Amino acid sequence: MIKFLKLYEKIGIFILIVIAGVFLAIASPNFLKTDTILNIITQGTYGAIVGFGMVLAITSGGFDLSVDAVVALTSVFLSILIPNIGIPSAIIISVIISCCVGFLNGVIITKFGVNPLITTLSMATIIRGVSLLIANGKQIPISETRFSVIGTGKLLGIPIPIYIMVALFIIFYLLLNQTSLGRHISAVGSNESAARISGLNVTFVKIMVYVLVSFTASINGVIRTSQAMIGIPSMAPGFTLLVITITILGGTSLSGGKGNLIGAVFAGIFISMIYYGLNLIKVEYFYQLLSVGLVLIFALFVDGLRKRYLEAARIKGIKV
Amino acid sequence: MREIPENNTLLSMTGITKIFPGVIALKDVDFETKYGEVHALVGENGAGKSTLIKILSGLYRPDSGDILLEGRKVFFANTHQSQQNNIAVIYQEFNLVPELSVAENIFIGREPKTFGKIFINWKKMNANAKEMLDRLDIELDCKRFVSDLSVAERQMVEIAKALSLDAKLIIMDEPTATLTEKEVVKLFEIIAELKKQGVSIIYISHRLEEAFKLSERITVLRDGKKIGTKLTTQTSQDEIVSMMVGKVVKDYFGGSKSVSAEREVLLEIKNYSIADHVYNVGFKLHKGEILGFAGVLGSGIHSLLRSIYGATPKTKGEIFFEGSPVEINSTKDAIKLGIGFVTEDRKGEGILYDMSVLQNLTIIVIKSLTFLKGLFVKAKKEKEVFNSMSNSLDIKFANLNQRIIFLSGGNQQKVIIGRTLLSNCKVLILLEPTRGIDVGAKAEIHRIMRELANKGISIILSSSELPELVNLTDRCIALYKGKINAEFTRETMDEEKLVAAQIGQVKK
Repeated sequence: MIKFLKLYEKIGIFILIVIAGVFLAIASPNFLKTDTILNIITQGTYGAIVGFGMVLAITSGGFDLSVDAVVALTSVFLSILIPNIGIPSAIIISVIISCCVGFLNGVIITKFGVNPLITTLSMATIIRGVSLLIANGKQIPISETRFSVIGTGKLLGIPIPIYIMVALFIIFYLLLNQTSLGRHISAVGSNESAARISGLNVTFVKIMVYVLVSFTASINGVIRTSQAMIGIPSMAPGFTLLVITITILGGTSLSGGKGNLIGAVFAGIFISMIYYGLNLIKVEYFYQLLSVGLVLIFALFVDGLRKRYLEAARIKGIKV
Repeated sequence: MREIPENNTLLSMTGITKIFPGVIALKDVDFETKYGEVHALVGENGAGKSTLIKILSGLYRPDSGDILLEGRKVFFANTHQSQQNNIAVIYQEFNLVPELSVAENIFIGREPKTFGKIFINWKKMNANAKEMLDRLDIELDCKRFVSDLSVAERQMVEIAKALSLDAKLIIMDEPTATLTEKEVVKLFEIIAELKKQGVSIIYISHRLEEAFKLSERITVLRDGKKIGTKLTTQTSQDEIVSMMVGKVVKDYFGGSKSVSAEREVLLEIKNYSIADHVYNVGFKLHKGEILGFAGVLGSGIHSLLRSIYGATPKTKGEIFFEGSPVEINSTKDAIKLGIGFVTEDRKGEGILYDMSVLQNLTIIVIKSLTFLKGLFVKAKKEKEVFNSMSNSLDIKFANLNQRIIFLSGGNQQKVIIGRTLLSNCKVLILLEPTRGIDVGAKAEIHRIMRELANKGISIILSSSELPELVNLTDRCIALYKGKINAEFTRETMDEEKLVAAQIGQVKK
């Protein structure tokens, strides 16, 4: 069992992708075409990008339930700012505003000692409200056509969102594994008291984490808005749960301390494949919701199993 | 009032032996208590007191020996059976539910019911609880939540609960360790009341004066054996102390000792106070010196040392480091100055569970091992630093990336000491560095401490193992109830004096 779980930890998500791939290839003649596969991967990047942020949050022992609201906030700000100050400035300012949401999350969690779940859930409601307020409850179309390049353009035949994801992956990978901040994030998630007694600035680390989660969410918002060419205050409902599913399925342990970014990429693609398959057999939207829920429960189950067996192995003195 | 049988003996344990793998915790111990008697049980850490209690409370089963309760032979397979035989144990950590009221806690699981046993009869429960408290002359509102009570009040609730369970024997484990003077007086009154009602009490305390004040008899345990039982009126504190200590084998740690008096002062603490824990403590720490701190639970040592490291605030006091006054408001400040700290709670605030041996060791200094202020870890440099530290401390591990939880306790402890040492500290504070690790690893940690001191690092060592202090330290300070009770130099210190000093006596 331990061996199986070890193996699953390493290649489990690949096996799931291969199984799903075989099914889809049999079910649809269109599946094994470059366009289809690129399309699936592009869809997968949306969740994966925010998944990177969520990996950091969960690794630090926290959680962020406000990502879907931040996506919508970014969308609304983009649609208002682009006609006024141009595309690049609008993107930069929208992203900075979103990062401020993360900063607020971090400050409330660390300085007031509020539980991250409650904090970010409340923040999600507040941000949704703010988005609706700013947009006057309406959707705001964007007429600047050049903006659509980000979400729908291609470079060398590969969609731009994939480049963005790869770039973010590299940045977050280096951040988590190669910087002192990354080590500190793992340390805080592993044992916060130990991190504190070792003189680490736990408050700073946590605030940074929530800023980074909001950053990834706002990048997602930029891509989505660019595809829709419309600012939608109710954008991305239920997206947070999808991101959490991707994070856990990708092998990041819920108990903190251990983050898996590459897993998040493949988990994103896997979820995207499920959606594609469900579309193929033309089932309704709520089946998609249902399937995400099931996948999350499966991922949590494996995570729990892994933790239990690891503990048992430690007690028995088996080296893992 | 109960009927008391002729011979007056409530509990008698004979020939109790308990063996754990590798250790004989109790060897052929006899122990008895009478109705309405306070019988004090004393001994150093590891003497076997807690094993004896755990046998009485049903947590452990003795390997041999008999327990007679009111003349009947009894056998406790679990704690429930012990409770059913009217034995109650009041531990240092209470078994109360903070979110419930005093009355609910007293009658938890046995609440008086009304309306066909559906609803709790609050009126009756509160009245019964009040009666219990009155019997002990305790003034406490039954409707208050336990979470709002002080430690002393919680203890009273525990005692009332024990009494409501019709306890004939109450075992109190260090009941006064965390109480204030006033609260201790109140506790003693309650104990006197219990005695009147025929309840027998086994009283365990590090504070000998209390044992003398309260008890009819004192039994001394040492190394799992019963050294003797004395009538309190016919013995002296000196006699009990020497029974507790026995013969000390001097210098079994072997190291050579250094003289510290003429060395320069590295750290000086003046008038240091922490509310309810430490009162006006001051001391000096010389360069390359090992300064020991001895004290029992409630002495305030840990609070003091944690506070000097900046982990908890102080009420008042000054700290001088290398001659100049410094403010330490956070652990970061302390580390910057060159003060390192190794926690006594290795699991709670030492090891970083999910991280590797390597990452655990370098976590404090990781920023200095990167390019561009934290951007890229210099992997090679990190490994070099790791290797040199793990060689000098002789840390044993399978590979660098092994998770730390798979190391033995001793090796985990070395990693944590190494972690602190990497921060280039000049002062190293060690709290119970050898707790819970095996004998071999202990000796190694002693060797490491001696070597560090020889290199000029000043060490503050707090330990509940007196031989460790006697043989390893250059000077030793005994704290008692938050005040310095005695200070010994290498020449004047021995185990007997330390025992006496940490339980409040001053030996001439």
